[in-house]
Order: sequence, then C-alpha cells, then structure tokens
Amino acid sequence: MTTVTQTGKLPAERRGGFSKKLSGIIEPYLYVSPALVLIIAVMLMPLILGLSYAFRDIRILNPFSGGFVGTAHFEALISDQAFLGALANTAWWTFGSLLFQFGLGLILALLLNRQFLGRRMVQALVFLPWAVPTFLSGLNWAWMFNPVVGPLPHWMTSLGLMAEPFNILSDPDLAMWGPIIANIWFGIPFFAITMLAALQSIPKELYEAASIDGATTRQQFISITLPFLAPTIAITLMLRTIWIANFADLIVVMTNGGPADSTQIVASYIFTQAFRRLDFGYASAIAAVLLVLLLAYALSVIALRRAMTHADS
Amino acid sequence: MASIQIANARKSYGAVDVLHGIDLNISDGEFIVLVGPSGCGKSTLLRMIAGLEDITSGDISIAGNVVNDLQPKDRDIAMVFQSYALYPHMSVAENMSYALTLRKTAKEKISDAISGVAEILGLTALLERRPKALSGGQRQRVAMGRAIVRKPQAFLFDEPLSNLDARLREQMRTEIRKLHHRLGATSVYVTHDQIEAMTMADRIVAMHDGIIQQVGSPVEIYDKPANIFVASFIGSPAMNFLKGSYEISDDNGAGVRLSDGALVPVLQAQNAQNNQAVTLGSRPEHISIVSDADNGLPAKVELIEPMGLSTLVHVTLAGKPIKIFTMDRPNYPVDSFIHIAFDMAKAHVFDTSSEQRLPPTTEPHSGHKD
Repeated sequence: MTTVTQTGKLPAERRGGFSKKLSGIIEPYLYVSPALVLIIAVMLMPLILGLSYAFRDIRILNPFSGGFVGTAHFEALISDQAFLGALANTAWWTFGSLLFQFGLGLILALLLNRQFLGRRMVQALVFLPWAVPTFLSGLNWAWMFNPVVGPLPHWMTSLGLMAEPFNILSDPDLAMWGPIIANIWFGIPFFAITMLAALQSIPKELYEAASIDGATTRQQFISITLPFLAPTIAITLMLRTIWIANFADLIVVMTNGGPADSTQIVASYIFTQAFRRLDFGYASAIAAVLLVLLLAYALSVIALRRAMTHADS
Repeated sequence: MASIQIANARKSYGAVDVLHGIDLNISDGEFIVLVGPSGCGKSTLLRMIAGLEDITSGDISIAGNVVNDLQPKDRDIAMVFQSYALYPHMSVAENMSYALTLRKTAKEKISDAISGVAEILGLTALLERRPKALSGGQRQRVAMGRAIVRKPQAFLFDEPLSNLDARLREQMRTEIRKLHHRLGATSVYVTHDQIEAMTMADRIVAMHDGIIQQVGSPVEIYDKPANIFVASFIGSPAMNFLKGSYEISDDNGAGVRLSDGALVPVLQAQNAQNNQAVTLGSRPEHISIVSDADNGLPAKVELIEPMGLSTLVHVTLAGKPIKIFTMDRPNYPVDSFIHIAFDMAKAHVFDTSSEQRLPPTTEPHSGHKD
C-alpha cells in the first residue's frame, strides 16, 4: 500500500516550484479558451457595444455626433409618451397573442394526439404557418384585412360583426388585433408541436389505470395530462413571451406601428428610432430598457418554477 | 367477489385475428393464471375483461352480468399493470385513494381504508412519498394497494412482476399468493413466466396463437400436458423431445423406435397405431443415468451444468440434444459416453402430426379442455 501511494505522489512533488504551480492553475483555462474567446466575440462584445451606444449620441445623419451623453437618453425616455404607449402596447400585444397561441395550440395538440385517418399528414400541415417567412405572412394578413383585395372585412360584415367592410388596420382602436391575429395564426404550430411532443411522452397505462379507477376524461386531463405538461407549459410560455415581446416583424410589415402609434410596440419603436430616424443612441437606450424588463421577467418565472418544483418534492 | 365467464370471445384487429373463440369459466375466488409466449393473446384477453379493449364477438360476464359494453370503471374490477402505472404527481396515499376520492367516498372511510391496506402491504411509512422516491418492489406494492383499497369484484394482473429482479419476484410471488388467501378475491393473472404460473395458480390457462391449449391445475398441466406446446412451455428445464415411430411388441408392450434404431419402451398409448409417427417426450428429471449398458442407451456428454441444488447433464442421443436432471454431482468428461434410461411410466407419447398427447391406456379418458 505505502509503496503505491509513494509512487503515486512522486511526480506531483517533483514538479514543485512556483511556475509549475501557476501553469497548473492556468492549464484548464487554456483548454476552454477557444470556446471562451468565441463566446466573448459573438455574444458578449456585441451586447456590451450595444449597451454602450445607449450612453452615446449616435445619429447617422449628424457627422458631429458620437459623444458621451451619460444618462440623457434614459431621462428622455421617462417623458417620451410614444415610448410609454409602446410599453403598454407591448404588454397587450404579447399577452394577447400568447394567450390565444397557447390556448388554441394546446387544443390542437390534444386533437392531434387522437387516432384518426391521415393524422401524420395533418401533423405535417399544422407546422406550415411556422415555415412561412414572417414577412410574407405579414403581407398576406395585411391584404386579407384590406376590403379592396381581402375577403375578411366582407365576411365580418356578412356575419354582422361590422356595419360595412372597412380595414381594421386603419382603425386606431382595432388595429392591434390585426397583427395579433396574424401572430396567433403564426404561433399556434409552435405550441401545438411542443405540447404534442409532451403529450406523447405520457404513458398510456396512466390513462387506462385512471379509466379503471373511474376518472372521467376531464378528471384525467386535470390529474394526469396537466401535471405532465406543466414543465413544458412553463418553459414554452416563458420563451414565447420573450420572443413575442421582441417580435416586431409582423407589426412593421402590417401597420408600421400606426395608425397614430396605436400598434407601436417597444421592439417596433426601436426599429423606428434606429432605421427611420436613424438615432442609434436613443434606440439602444430603449433596447437596454427592454432587455432589463425581459430579464426581470425571465428571472421571476425561473424563480417561480423553482419554488413550484421545490414545493413538489 | 365474483365469477367471470368468457364465452366464445374473439378479437380481431382488422383482418388479423388475435383471439379465436375463447371459452373460460373462472369461479368465485379462484386464482387463474393466463400463461403463454408473447403474442399469444393473453394480455389482450385480460384487457378485454378490464374493458380496455373492445370485444369483437362473444360475451364476457362478471358476476353473471354481460359487461361487453360497460366502461372499465363500471365493471368494478381493479388492474395491476406491468409498468405499475402509478400517478407520478401524487403521493402513495393519493395514488391509493384516487379511485375512492373519485367516487366521493367519505374522507374518514378513505383514510381508514388506506391505513388498513398500507398496514397489510407494509407501506405505512411511505404514504407521503412520491412514486419516484420508491424502489421497484415498493412501487409494485403501491400498485397492489391501489387495487385492494377499492375492494373490487376481481383483480386483473398484467405481468406485474416482470420489472423486478429475480429475488424480489420470488418474494412478491409469495406475497401475492398470501394476499389472495387472505382476501379470497377472484384474480386473473397474466404472465409469460411458467414458474409464476406453476407456483401461483389455482388453475393455469395455457395459451398459444390466440387459442387456449389447456386448462388445468398446475400439477395436471405439468404431468399431463395436452400437447407438445404445453409440454414444452411448462417446466424448466424444458421437456426433451425425440421423434420416432410407435411400435407395439408381441407381449403387448410398446415402445418408440428412435431415428438411430434404438427402442425406448413406453406405456401403451390410447389410439396409437403401429408405426405411427410419434414424438417421445420426457422431462429431464424422468431420465436417469445408468451404469448398466444393457438397460440404457448410449449418449454423448456435451456439457455439465451445475445448478447448486442439482446438476443438468447435456447429452446427445440419436443426434438430438437431451437434458438430464440429477441430484448427484456427476463428473463426466465432455465427449465421453454414458448410458441413459427413460422412466417408462413418466414418458409421454405425442402424435407428431397433430402434436396432441396420446395418453397411456391406463389413464382414464379425460377432456383436458375446459
């Protein structure tokens, strides 16, 4: 035994010395350095650079801009009515889309989880809206809402929902529903597919045991399906909230934030500030605020989830 | 508790027939084991009794009532699944009380029932745990407890022990049997393990290809298998089979002439013709190793398999592998020749073409089929 430990120890002792110790400490970092360099270059650098713009005056059309302005942009933001309106619109846009995407996606997943003829075909087709470029679907929906070329206003009039065909996208009170409806259509497949995958991982015997125990379909849904879906629901709702809040494409294509900023969300307001008014500094400041808000949201959801799983076990 | 009648029950999936007219009467309090290889239809039959599969035609009655069109919950049966099917998000107590809660049983009654059953199964300390915090054996017990708490008309078991290791399986086997004695509940137990079938059943139902091959007590099935399938499926190590032709000798004796010309004397079989193609069946424990060359057939030793309690000697006879069970500790070198003798009274003669057993003339006629 002693001889074994002796021989095992010897090389380390022979190393000795300060430089040897130092190289021992540095060595592991050298191995991970390629990955670290990559992460710093593609993730950290742009983030820090972008955040730094928020504290500088960067206007493309003004060649004398570029100076450090401190927190001036943020002070301007507090009293910027357009920004505050965009914040409220973002909440409406995000949760309005999310609620329907999730609800309808879950229902669709439950339907697709049943056995029927041509199920695989339908499963593939359901994924289609997700595969259409958002720019194209935005244009499509904008046209569909247009009474000149689209059928929707005429259908709504026939159904008695509208007095006469008009474009809801040009009505400040209703305009937000246009992009929201397009976004619901676009986002349902995501929830349907993820929920379907989670549903299919639930062992069939549990439902059989429950049906023998006397549980109705509704009781089975509550005591088996929902608990199994809960982790997937939590993570997808969180991800989608962040994605939708940042998702300006449909709005920019369909309404461009109008009419009268009634559909302007923070993400589209950033786009407007940066690429229409070409004020990169101010746009960066808005982006920084959005980042902080979404980070706070994500952290609170993660904390909530952790609390729930702890209560679970 | 209740009896279960199955009358001409059939099951087809499209054009594929899985069960071809099953007839079976299970009496009140009986422990029936359905045994057979995978794909023989035993699980399907059990699921049809439970109401988890539709019945294509025929009738299944529980306690005299035809249940063909009843929902599983209305059949008053409990089922123990191979995967246990415990609700992972509920504690042990919640798992066991779920059925009672759904029936809106009074809270005190539920907790009385749970503590009583937990006591019987030794689960009292585990009631607040989640299934994932339990070992396989404990989960198995919870699944049993969930079934017992409801006091159903009948228990259905679908290979409940196959996910356990050998030692635990042996232990649970005994426990389930003791529990059955205690509760006296009608039980239908599905397994592919013939040892479980032998040790647990009041009556064994041997199934193959969607047809009941034989129904009988374990000893009856073991000693008087109806055909080659039952003879080969029940018993471990399995029965030895040798093809040959039936011969009646002048002195009213009989024998089976093997392919190498050797004659194995057997009891005269019913309805067996001279020179009929038959298969000789003999269990490993019914073949003995003899020192005397006159009374034995020469066989070549292939392998000696010590099993602790006993030893299994693998030999070749007439070009066919034969296993011999012995309580001795033989030490024959491989490739050496020994002499073996078949126990004439215990040897079986099967008709090679129909595979049915031809019982000896000394055995009274009896219908093996129930």
